[in-house]
Amino acid sequence: MSETRVGQERFVAPIEETPLRAIDAVNVDEVPENQWKEAWKRLRTSFLFWFAVLILAVIAAMIFFPSLFTDVPANTTPKLENSFGPASDGHPFGFTRQGEDVWANAVYGARASVAVGVLTTIFTTILGMVTGAIAGFYGGITDSLISRFSDIFFSIPLLLACIVVISVLNNTFPDRGFWGSVFVVVMALALFAWPQITRQMRGAVLEIKNLEFVDAATAIGASKMKNLRRHIVPNALAPVIVTATISLGVFIVAEASLSFLGLGLPQGVASWGNDLSDAQLQVRSGQHLNVMYVPAATLAITVLGFILLGEAVREALDPKARKK
Amino acid sequence: MWWYVAKRLLQTIPVFLGATLILFILLKLRPGDPILNLAGNKPVSPEVRDALAAQYHLDDPLFVQWFQFAKNALTFNFGETFAGQPVFDLIKQTFPVTVVLALMALTIDAVLGIGIGTIAGLRRNGWFDSSALVVSLLLISIPIFVVGFVMQLIFGVKLGWTSPTVGSDWSVGDLLLPAIVLAIANFAYTIRLTRTSVAENLSADHVRTARAKGLSERLVIRNHVLRNSLVPVVTYIGINLGSLMAGAIITETIFNVPGIGNAAYTAIAKGETATVVAIVTFMVMVYVLMSLLVDLIYAVLDPRIRYV
Amino acid sequence: MNDSAPLLKVDNLSVGFRAGKEILTAVDEANLTIYPGQTIAIVGESGSGKSTLAHAVIGLLPGTGKVTGGSIQFEGKDISHAGKGEILALRGSSIGLVPQDPMSNLNPLWRVGSQIKEALVANGVATGAAADKRVVELLEEAGLPDAERRARQYPHEFSGGMRQRALIAMGLAARPKLLIADEPTSALDVTVQKQILDHLDKLTDDLGVAVMLITHDLGLAAERADHLVVMYRGRVVESGPARAILQNPEHPYTKRLVSKAPSLASQRLSSIKARAEVREQAVQTAAEIAAEVAHSSTEFGEGKADILQVDDLTKVFSLRGKKPWEKIPFTAVDSVSFKLKRGTTTAIVGESGSGKSTVARMVLDLLPPSSGRVLFDGHDLRELKTKQERLRLRRQMQPVFQNPYASLDPLYSIYKSIEEPLRTHDVGTGKQRETRVRELLDRVALPTTVMSRYPGELSGGQRQRVAIARALALEPEVVICDEAVSALDVLVQAQILELLNDLQAELGLSYLFITHDLAVVRQIADNVLVMQDGKVVEAAPVSEVFDNPREDYTRKLLDAIPGASIELGK
Repeated sequence: MSETRVGQERFVAPIEETPLRAIDAVNVDEVPENQWKEAWKRLRTSFLFWFAVLILAVIAAMIFFPSLFTDVPANTTPKLENSFGPASDGHPFGFTRQGEDVWANAVYGARASVAVGVLTTIFTTILGMVTGAIAGFYGGITDSLISRFSDIFFSIPLLLACIVVISVLNNTFPDRGFWGSVFVVVMALALFAWPQITRQMRGAVLEIKNLEFVDAATAIGASKMKNLRRHIVPNALAPVIVTATISLGVFIVAEASLSFLGLGLPQGVASWGNDLSDAQLQVRSGQHLNVMYVPAATLAITVLGFILLGEAVREALDPKARKK
Repeated sequence: MWWYVAKRLLQTIPVFLGATLILFILLKLRPGDPILNLAGNKPVSPEVRDALAAQYHLDDPLFVQWFQFAKNALTFNFGETFAGQPVFDLIKQTFPVTVVLALMALTIDAVLGIGIGTIAGLRRNGWFDSSALVVSLLLISIPIFVVGFVMQLIFGVKLGWTSPTVGSDWSVGDLLLPAIVLAIANFAYTIRLTRTSVAENLSADHVRTARAKGLSERLVIRNHVLRNSLVPVVTYIGINLGSLMAGAIITETIFNVPGIGNAAYTAIAKGETATVVAIVTFMVMVYVLMSLLVDLIYAVLDPRIRYV
Repeated sequence: MNDSAPLLKVDNLSVGFRAGKEILTAVDEANLTIYPGQTIAIVGESGSGKSTLAHAVIGLLPGTGKVTGGSIQFEGKDISHAGKGEILALRGSSIGLVPQDPMSNLNPLWRVGSQIKEALVANGVATGAAADKRVVELLEEAGLPDAERRARQYPHEFSGGMRQRALIAMGLAARPKLLIADEPTSALDVTVQKQILDHLDKLTDDLGVAVMLITHDLGLAAERADHLVVMYRGRVVESGPARAILQNPEHPYTKRLVSKAPSLASQRLSSIKARAEVREQAVQTAAEIAAEVAHSSTEFGEGKADILQVDDLTKVFSLRGKKPWEKIPFTAVDSVSFKLKRGTTTAIVGESGSGKSTVARMVLDLLPPSSGRVLFDGHDLRELKTKQERLRLRRQMQPVFQNPYASLDPLYSIYKSIEEPLRTHDVGTGKQRETRVRELLDRVALPTTVMSRYPGELSGGQRQRVAIARALALEPEVVICDEAVSALDVLVQAQILELLNDLQAELGLSYLFITHDLAVVRQIADNVLVMQDGKVVEAAPVSEVFDNPREDYTRKLLDAIPGASIELGK
C-alpha cells in the first residue's frame, strides 16, 4: 500500500466532543400522540381552522337561532308595496321584487341549503365507505362488481344525473313539504356522488390491508371482520373525512345550481338557491343587485367555511404535503 | 398496448349499458300514461296511440324496452319532442355550439390552470402560491351561475365589451365570455391538482438525479417535473369534459347560447322529461366516449400503463 | 503521487437544516480529502450525516439545507457557495452521482437510453446520432447485455440490478473526475450487489475516476476503499487507512461498529461460541416445556421434538399473462421440506424472489399452500376444523415482520398493540393484562413509559421490540421472524439479535428466521436452509454451510458477504 497522503492521516475525534449515546435509547420527554391527537395539536394552532370554525359557528347560529340575525319572523307574508324597497332600519339590504326582506331570506335560507349539504355528505360517506371498504378488502369478484357498478354511476356527470332524477321525481311527487323536498334533492345528489368516496376508500383499504400490522393481527387470531373494523377502516378514514368535508361545500353549490335550473328545492322552500334563482331577473336590468349579492355571499362564505375546514384538516393530517 | 385498449373498450360496454339502464328506469318512473307523456299530454286518437305504442315498444316486456332504449341511443334514435321535432335533429342543431364552447373552455382551463398551478407548485408557499390558493378556494365556493351573472353584468352590460347574450347567429368571439365562465368552474381544481403534482415531482428522487447529471434547471423542470406532472392533470382535464357539459346547461342558459345545454334547459322548463332524458343520454354517451379517449391518452403519456 | 494535489478537500464543513427558527446541524465540521483516482468510503448509520455531506459536495442539498461553515474545495476551488452556473458546470462532467434507490431514481416516463443521452448532451459530450451510439457503449460498459435494445426500453422493464447499471452508466456518462456513490447497492440482492460493485471498481479504476462511496456497511467500505471516514451524529469520529481502522479502531463508536458489523462478526469465533451457549440453554428449557405439553391434556400439541414439520410445501400463484385470458402458473415455493427442533433456530436464506417469505406466510397459516402440509407439534394446520383449535394454534406461533414502520397499527398505543393478542384471546382481567404488558416491555428492555406512546414516536428498533413483545404476549413456542432485523441500522440490528438470543435461552423458544443476509445467520441460527427460485438448494447446520458449503449458489452467497475476507485484529 502507498503511504498516507496529506489530509488522509489517521484521525480520531476527541471522545469528550463526540460522546456515545446509548444505542436506540427511548427519548422520554416526548408527549404521547397518535395521528388524530397530533392532528388536533396542529389544528389548534392553525389560523385556517379557527377561521373556518368561526364561519361555521355563525352559520350554525343562523340556522338554530335565526332571531339573533333578523327581527323579521319566518314565513312573513310579503307586502307588495315593499317591492324593491330600499334598505331601512331592520332591513339592512332592502326588499325583493315580491317585497320580502333580502337579509331575512338569506338567514332563513341557511337551514335548507346546509341541510342538503350535510345530509348528502352523510349518505354518500356511509355508502361510499361501506362499498369501498368491502371492494378493497374482499377483492376479486366482489371488487369487480362494486367497481363496475360505481363506474356506471360515475359515468353520468352529477348535475346531469340530478337533472333527470329530479325532473322525474318532480312529476311524481309534486308537493312534498320541506323535508320531503330536501330529501329528494339529497337522494338525487347522493345517488350519483357516492362513487367518489368508494374509489378513495377502496384505494386506501387496498393499501392498508397489505401492511404488516394487519397480518400480525390475523396471526394473533383476529377475524377478518375484526381486522377490517379495528385496523383497516380507522386507518383509511383520514383522507375520506377530508374529501367528505370539502364535498359538503360542493353539494351546497350543486343544490343552488339545481335551484337555478328550477330543479332544486321547490319555490315554497326558503333556500339560497331559490333566492338566487329569483334574483336572475334582476341581473339583466343591472339594478337592485342586493337581491343576488346577499344570498350569493352567504352561500359562498358557508361553502368556503366547509372547504377551509377540509383543507385545515388535510394539512393537519398530512403536514408534509405543504411544508416540504 | 393493444390489450390495454381492448380491455378498456370492453369495460365501456357494461358502463354504457348500466348508464342507459339507469336513465331508462328513471324514464319509466314517470307517473301517468306513457303515451300521453310522449305526446305532450294532448289527447290522442286510438290509431295514434297504437302507432306510438308500437314505435316505442310500450307493450313489450321492460327488459326488451330497455334493450330497445339502448339500441336507439346507439343509433341516435332519440324520439321526438312535443313539437314533433326529432330529438336528434335538435341535438344536431345545438351540439356544434356546445362543442366549440366546451373546447374553448377546456383550452382556457388547461392553459391557465396548468400555467398557474405550475408556478404555484414551483414556488410553494410564496405569495403567488398563496394568492392562487385563496382565489381557487373562492372560485370553488361561488356557484358558477353567480360568476356568470356577475361577468355578464360587468363585461356585457356595464363595460359593453361583448354582447351580454349570444343568440342564434353566434360567433366564436361571442362565446369567449361564456367559455371563460365555464372554465372557471373547473380551473380551480386544475390549479390545485397541477400544484400538488408539480410539488410532488419536484422532490422526487429522479429529479435530483436529473440535476446531478448536469441538466440545466430549465431542462429539469420541463422534461422531468412538468412532463411527469402532466400525466394526472391531463387525465383530470379530460374527465372534466363531463362536468363541462353539465356546466354548459347553466352557462348556455345565462348567456343564451343556442347549444345543447340550452335545449336541455328549455325542455326542463317545459316539463318534457323524455327530451331531457334523451339529451342527457346523448351527453352521457359523449362522456363515456371521452373517458375512453382519456384513458388511451393516459396510456400514451405513461408507458407503465401500457403493460398492465 | 504524494505531491499531487487533492481532487476534493472538505474543510471543516458544517451543514444545517432550518426547522422553524432553529437550525439543526446535520454535518458538523467534517474534514476529508480525496485524491484523483482514489476510492474513499464514508461509513455511518442512518442520520449520521453521510448522505448530507455527499449532497453538499454536488450542491444538491434538499429543502432548507445550507452550508453553514467551512469549505468544499474541488480542484483547489471553493465550491461551497458557488453560483448556480458554476455548480451546474461541475455536475455531470466533473462530479457524477450514482444514487441510492434504483427504483425511484430513473424517470419512469422516459426511455433509459434517452435519460443517459440527456447527460451527454447537457455536458456537451455528444449530440444526435453520435450520442445515441455513445449511450449504447456506455450501457455495455456498465455491464448491461443487449445494450442496444435495452436503451430503447423504459425503466419498468428493467430489474433493480439493471437499473442500477443504467444509473452507473449515467453517472459516468460525461466522465467525471469524482463519482459519488450513495449506497449504490443497498437496495439490491447480495450477489447482484457484489457483481455491480466489482464492475464499478473495475470501471472507475480503468477510467481513473475517484469514488466517494457512502455506505452503512463497514465491511463493504473496508473491502472497497483504502481510506475510511467514519461519521457519527454529524461528526467525523475517525478516519484513516481502512485496514488500520478495522484492525485497530480507536474511537469507541468505531470499536462498536467493528465488533457488531454482521459481515465482520460472522467470522468471529466468539459469536459462534455465544450461539452454542444460547442453544444449549434453549433446548433444555424447551424440553421441559415439551414434557409438560406431552403430559397435559389442555395444551395444544403433543410435545414432539420437532415442533414444526414442513412436508413438500408448494405454492403456485397464477399470474396474469400478456393476454387477458392467459394465466401463467408461477411456482413461488417448490416442495420445501424441513423440520424445526424445539429450542433451536432454523434460518431460511435467499435473495428476493426465492420464496422464503411465502414459506413463512404458509407456515403462519396466512396463506393456504397449493400442496404439502405444515405440522405444528403433530397437528396439520389445514386439518384444524374448529375455530377454537385454530385460535389455540395461533397462540403457539407468532410472527415478527420486517418493516418496523408497518408492523404496528399507527393508531394503536403501544399498550393497546401489546394487549391486543391478550384481549383477542380473553386472557385475564384488565388489571392482569396490564401487569402482563409491563412484564413484556421489561423483557424486551423498553421502559414502561412507552406504554402510552404511539408507534410514530419510536425508532425502528424500538418498534421491532414492541413487535417482539406483542409476539410473546401469548407465550408462543414458535416465533417466525420474517426479515425482522433487515431494515435496522447495524448496531440496532445487533442489539435486537442479542435480545432474540436471550429470549430464546430464557423461554425455550424455537425460531424460524427468514433473512436475505447470510451474515446475520451465524449469530442466531443453528440450521440453514438456502433457497433459490422456490427450491431448497442446501440444508445443513450453520457451521457446515459456512465452513464447507456444498452448493455453488451457497458459495456465491458466502462470497458476496462484504468484507468477509478482511483480517481483523484480536
